[in-house]
Amino acid sequence: MTCEDVKVLSADYWSHTLDEAQELAFETHTASCEQCRTEVERLGAMWKSLALLPVEEPGANLRSRFYETLAAYRQGLESAPKPRLREKILALWPKQPAWQMAISFALLAIGVGLGYEIRPGKTAEPAADSELSQLRGEVSSMRQMVALSLLQQQSAGERLRGVTYAYQAPPSDTEVLSALLTTMNQDQNVNVRLAAVDALHRFGSSPVTRAAVVQSIRKQDNPLVQIALIDLMVDLKDEEAAPELAKLAGDEKIDSAVRQHAKWALGRLQ
Amino acid sequence: MSTSDNVLMAEVSSGQVGKMAALFERHHRPLFRYFVSMNRNRELSEDLVQDVFFRMLRYRTSYDPKQSFTAWMYQIARNASVDQAQKRKAEVVGIDEFDGQRRPEPASEAPGPEETAAKGQDLALLRRALDRLPEDKREILVLSRFQNLKYEEIASLLGCEVGTVKVRVFRAMRALEQIYFALLKEQTA
Repeated sequence: MTCEDVKVLSADYWSHTLDEAQELAFETHTASCEQCRTEVERLGAMWKSLALLPVEEPGANLRSRFYETLAAYRQGLESAPKPRLREKILALWPKQPAWQMAISFALLAIGVGLGYEIRPGKTAEPAADSELSQLRGEVSSMRQMVALSLLQQQSAGERLRGVTYAYQAPPSDTEVLSALLTTMNQDQNVNVRLAAVDALHRFGSSPVTRAAVVQSIRKQDNPLVQIALIDLMVDLKDEEAAPELAKLAGDEKIDSAVRQHAKWALGRLQ
Repeated sequence: MSTSDNVLMAEVSSGQVGKMAALFERHHRPLFRYFVSMNRNRELSEDLVQDVFFRMLRYRTSYDPKQSFTAWMYQIARNASVDQAQKRKAEVVGIDEFDGQRRPEPASEAPGPEETAAKGQDLALLRRALDRLPEDKREILVLSRFQNLKYEEIASLLGCEVGTVKVRVFRAMRALEQIYFALLKEQTA
């Protein structure tokens, strides 16, 4: 045993917590080392004296204060709603800040997502959509009726208004399309016919429209309407109209302006 | 520390908070003595004892039954002491004034061999020397000598090796002796 070992084991020696072998080795060293022996004896006496210092006792009110606190705490626990569940949930919360941050962001994202899904506008949307589409359907039907009705009016102005209403009909509305084609071919007023040709742009995706336009050009007696029909063919990129345009371009009976326009249109479509 | 302390605290932790009363009866006096030895203020020490038991109730679910209850309790006591010191500057009273507040009970009714061995030493002077020790040295002597904590428990509490605790006890005793004789020299001068 060294002098350093004595410093480490002195507290145990004073407390009589060394085993027999350690105590023998300790006393063997101190017997031969005067410096260690005197220091261990001096400090050992002081160590004993420390145990003689008066024991301080707390006041009697400490006990009563504790039991009041304990009673209040128990009462609080009993009245608390589901405290055990809350504690279990809190126990799941990780101690590491990195996990805490990750969970916080995840909860924030879930919260934002849920908030978006259950927002008041969202829940009302299906009903609103349904009502809106119903309203749109009703308005569309009304416009169709108005358009069809106006297109049959005596007044050219009214029929023009009817064409204007036809712009608001959906491209799938065959009744309006049929009415426009009739107007295009049969209306006595050139302006109404021209307006009907313009309105047919909206129905250009239908093969019925394309075929009717090609057939109509021969029926038209007004060059302006014929030119408008040629423009419509070009706008619709109707390549199937090319043979008819070629015939128009070579037909001497047709207005020269129309023939020239037909040639121009052929160049665009080929 | 005893196994039953750990069992009691585990029961408190599981919701039987009434079992804290048994732990209070066992430990409130040693705790009070620890605080008084550290801050020399009876009123503050009683508040701190109260605070420690309240904290043990509040944080009861954080108690690990594998852990020494005594070490856990003194860890809470140290934290409570630090928090209290931050709240207000501890009112440190002189040893003479302190003694005047209350007549402390002697450790033993009848003088035994230990008292005989300490013959010639002035206990009041020893008390003053202890009070003048740096806080870390005073604490390790209080824990090992007054509170009778095992060196393993002190090591766990202070976060160091057991051997380190024993060496620190030895050094604290050396420092105490130096202060004691310095005070004795002042007294006799």
